[in-house]
Amino acid sequence: MNINEAKTILLLYRPGTADAEDSQIAGALALAKREPELARWLEEHCARQETLRAQFRQIAAPAGLREQIISESAARAMAVSRQRRNTIFAAVAAMAAVVVLLIVMSASWLPHRSTDDTTLAVYRNQMAGIALRGYGMDFTTNDPEQIRAYLAQKQAPADYTLPAALQKAAVAGCAVEGWQNVKVSMICFRTGRPLPPNQSSDLWLFVVDRASLKDAPATGQPRFIAVNRFATAAWAQGDKVYLLGMQGDESAIRKFL
Amino acid sequence: MAGVEFESLVAQYYEPLYQFAFSLAHDESDACDLTQQTFCIWAVKGHQLRDASKVKTWLFTTLHREFLGLRRRQTRFPHVELEQAEPELPVVSQAAISRHDTAQVLAMLARLDEIYQAPVALFYLQDCSYNEIAEILQVPLGTVKSRLSRGIGRLQELLGGDTTPPRAEPTHL
Repeated sequence: MNINEAKTILLLYRPGTADAEDSQIAGALALAKREPELARWLEEHCARQETLRAQFRQIAAPAGLREQIISESAARAMAVSRQRRNTIFAAVAAMAAVVVLLIVMSASWLPHRSTDDTTLAVYRNQMAGIALRGYGMDFTTNDPEQIRAYLAQKQAPADYTLPAALQKAAVAGCAVEGWQNVKVSMICFRTGRPLPPNQSSDLWLFVVDRASLKDAPATGQPRFIAVNRFATAAWAQGDKVYLLGMQGDESAIRKFL
Repeated sequence: MAGVEFESLVAQYYEPLYQFAFSLAHDESDACDLTQQTFCIWAVKGHQLRDASKVKTWLFTTLHREFLGLRRRQTRFPHVELEQAEPELPVVSQAAISRHDTAQVLAMLARLDEIYQAPVALFYLQDCSYNEIAEILQVPLGTVKSRLSRGIGRLQELLGGDTTPPRAEPTHL
């Protein structure tokens, strides 16, 4: 093995790992102990490798990704179990029915099952994920009327009614999100608490047409559910479903209702 | 898989998987989706894995496979952001590697031929052994070493490092 061959082999060497156990690398390392030129190159190479490893490892996952993965998996698991229950019921019904009825029932069950994902639970988790995982505002302004006009222009829900306390919160902007092929208005607020760097809002209201959720909450009393560290309140009013969310607990979110 | 078990698996692997996904996709939302999709597939199929020591390899293999699928779809239906349509970054000067930040290193990684990107990312990110990288990418060990050698050499060249010479054919590794 000459010095150039040793350099080629050592290009794959990472100090502090099991790489040195590789017979070719071990041979090249042994040569580096005898050859000062190779030793110098190796020292520089190791420093470069360490720097590169450190730079790669600085990639940071967005805040909330872990919670998003867990909550969405739980929501999907619920949907799957519901689908399984439906399948069992369908099978029992099928045994008791004539062939023609079976076909009719299958036809009526299939579309029902395909709408399982339009539950409030899945909607809530997905919207929480958008808020937690980071998002881009389509339009930034502190003027509530401009937000309404922007959303109307984008044909997203714009004729929403804000609770009295929420009307007092400062708006920061809005975005139009998608949910099962319908548009969701996302209105971003500031609670007044100090914001982490790169975050311009900490309270979010999602508005969607009531018809797009098969189990929309009843009109009136908000339903409070926590999605990990994200508190949410969901309620219906008129033909809209409202979902308000923020990091914190139920008492924190109640202040805006 | 029980809820707690699943949560601890997510806690252990979501960050390294995200790092790998980001180094492949170079886009935060694609990386998030790939990471999430990997765990969704685990939730459905993970119970089929008999050897618990293979969980890490299984997750990284699955993510890589999902990435290849995503790439195929994007090739068929390309989605070009305005920022991405701008001219490519200029070639990095002969500055020391330490003067580059993570974003620049990833930009240089993206300039490597695609077959080198995944092995190089696994090499630097996860301290994966050559055998693990071969298993994750489902290519022979010799091919992994050869791709690593060329990929690392090219990356350091792009970053302005001195990789002298490696001109020798690396296939003997």
